[in-house]
Amino acid sequence: MTKGRAAGLAGGLLAGLVVLALSVGPQGFGWGDGGALAWLRAPRVLAALAAGLALGAGGAAQQGVFRNPLADPGLTGVFGGALFGLALLLGAAPEIAWQNAWVLPLAAFAGALACSALLVLLGSGGSSARLLLTGLGLNAFTAAGTLVIAARSGESRELLTNGAYGDWLGMATLELTWLPALLAVTAALALLPLAHALDLLSFGEDAARCHGAEPAQTRRRAVLLTALAAGAATCLVGQIAFIGLLAPHLARALAGPRHALVLPLAGLLGAALLVGADTLGRGLWPDAPLSAAAVTAVLGAPMFIWIARKRDA
Amino acid sequence: MPEAIVTATGLGVQFGAHRAVDGVSLKTAAGTMTAVIGPNGAGKTTLLRTLAGLIPTATGGLDVGGIDPRRASAPTSAKVLAYAPQLPASAWDFNLEELGAISGQPETYGNWLVRLGLNLPGELRLSELSGGERKCAHLALTFAGLTDPFGRALLLDEPTASLDRAKQAALHQVMHDFTRAGAAVLVATHDLAFARTCGEILVLAEGRLVAAGRPDTTLTDDVVASVWG
Repeated sequence: MTKGRAAGLAGGLLAGLVVLALSVGPQGFGWGDGGALAWLRAPRVLAALAAGLALGAGGAAQQGVFRNPLADPGLTGVFGGALFGLALLLGAAPEIAWQNAWVLPLAAFAGALACSALLVLLGSGGSSARLLLTGLGLNAFTAAGTLVIAARSGESRELLTNGAYGDWLGMATLELTWLPALLAVTAALALLPLAHALDLLSFGEDAARCHGAEPAQTRRRAVLLTALAAGAATCLVGQIAFIGLLAPHLARALAGPRHALVLPLAGLLGAALLVGADTLGRGLWPDAPLSAAAVTAVLGAPMFIWIARKRDA
Repeated sequence: MPEAIVTATGLGVQFGAHRAVDGVSLKTAAGTMTAVIGPNGAGKTTLLRTLAGLIPTATGGLDVGGIDPRRASAPTSAKVLAYAPQLPASAWDFNLEELGAISGQPETYGNWLVRLGLNLPGELRLSELSGGERKCAHLALTFAGLTDPFGRALLLDEPTASLDRAKQAALHQVMHDFTRAGAAVLVATHDLAFARTCGEILVLAEGRLVAAGRPDTTLTDDVVASVWG
C-alpha cells in the first residue's frame, strides 16, 4: 500500500468512526434534534479520540526508544504508574485533587514519569526480556498499589476501581476532558519531530551518534513525552493496554517502519481503535455498556499473541 | 608530511577489571589507509569506538579533525568522522528505499548500493537480504553521509568480513578511493594480505600497540610469531 493511501485510509476510518460514535448511545441511534444528542456524546468521543491518539503515538515512540516491538506503555508499567499517581493523590489528599483542572493530569504525569524513569534505569540496556519483565513488575506493583489505595479510600473507591478497569470514558464531560485531551494531543504532536532520530536509533546508539543524532537526548525527550501522553490518556480512559501495541504494529504493516509515518499513523489508528472499541461497547449493550478497555483487550490479546509468535518465527 | 587527521596520545579504556585499550598513541594523516590488526580481543573494536568518541570515559588525548569527539556534539562529530560497526543491525525491518530516505541522500545511497554490488529492488527489506548484503546496505548508509571525504576520519570495523570476493574487491577499491580523496581511513581487519596493501599498520595485542608503521617494517616474521604465536 502506498503511504498516502495508508494515511488516507486511517484518516477516513477515523472520521467514519467518529460520526458513528456520535450517533450511538442509550438514547437511540441518531444525532437528535439539532444535534443535541451528538453534543451530549461529544466529550466522550473527544476523550476517546485524544487518548487513542496519545496511546498510539506514545506506543510507537516507546517501541522506537527501546528498539523493542513489544514495548507498550500499557505493558511496561507507564500507564500503571499514571493511574498509581492519580490513586496516591486521591487517597492522600482528595480535597486538593478537584481544586484545579491541572492537579489530576499533573499527578498522572508524575506517576507515569516515575515509572518510565525506573524502566530506563532498571530495564534498559539489556535483553528484550529484561525490559519487558521489569515493565511487568512495575505494572503489577502499581496495579496492586492502586487497588490497595482504592480499597482504603471510601469516597474514591469506585472511581479508582473503574479507572483500573479502563472505564472512565463514561464520565467524560467537557469540563473534565478538555485539559487532558489538549495535553494528549500536544504530546502526540510533539513526538513527531523525533521521527528521524528514532529511525537512526534503530541502528543502535553508536550508529545513531555517528549519523549525527544524540541518542541520550532523543531518549530523554521521547520518554518525557510518552509519560505525558500516558498521563493524559489515563486521565481520560483509566488503565488501558494493547492500543499502544496494536496501533504501531498496524501502522508498520501498512506503511513500513519509518517513524515519520509510523508515529502519525499509529496515532490515527490508536484513535480509531479506541473510538471504535468504545462505540462497540456502547452500541452492542446500550443499557450496560462494556468498557473500552474490555473491548480492546478482547480484540487485542489474540493479536498480541499473534505478534509475539510472528516475532519469534 | 600531510596534515594529521587523527592524533591520539596515551588512550586508555577500562571495562571493569579489564584494560581493553592501554596507552595507545597514534597519528594518521590525510590520504593514509591504516590497517588495525591483532588477534580476537586485542582491542581493535574498542580502539575504533574510542577514536569515534563513542566511549566517553576513555582517558588520554584525542583529536580528530580538530575536535575531541568524546566531548563534541553528535552533529559536530559526524562532520569529521564516520564509523561503521562490525555487526550493524536494525531494530526495524526497513527496505532499501526507506534506508535511502533515512540517509537523507536517496540517490547517493542508491549509487553506493550499486557500487557495492547490490543491484536489488528498493522494496527488498533487510530481513530478505543475506548477511553480506545486509552489511553492504548498512555500509552504504555510512558512505552516503560522507559527502566529501577530504580531511575526514573513516573508521571501519571489519568491513569485508562476511562479504563475497566480488564485494570485498569492490569495498577495497572504495577504501582506496576514499584514501586518495584525502580521508584518513582506519580499518580493523583479520585479512593480513589486505593489511599489507595499506600504507600503515597498527598491531594490537591485549590492548597495547605492539608495532606500528609501514607494512614491510611492521608485519615482520617476529611480530607475527609473537602476536599470533
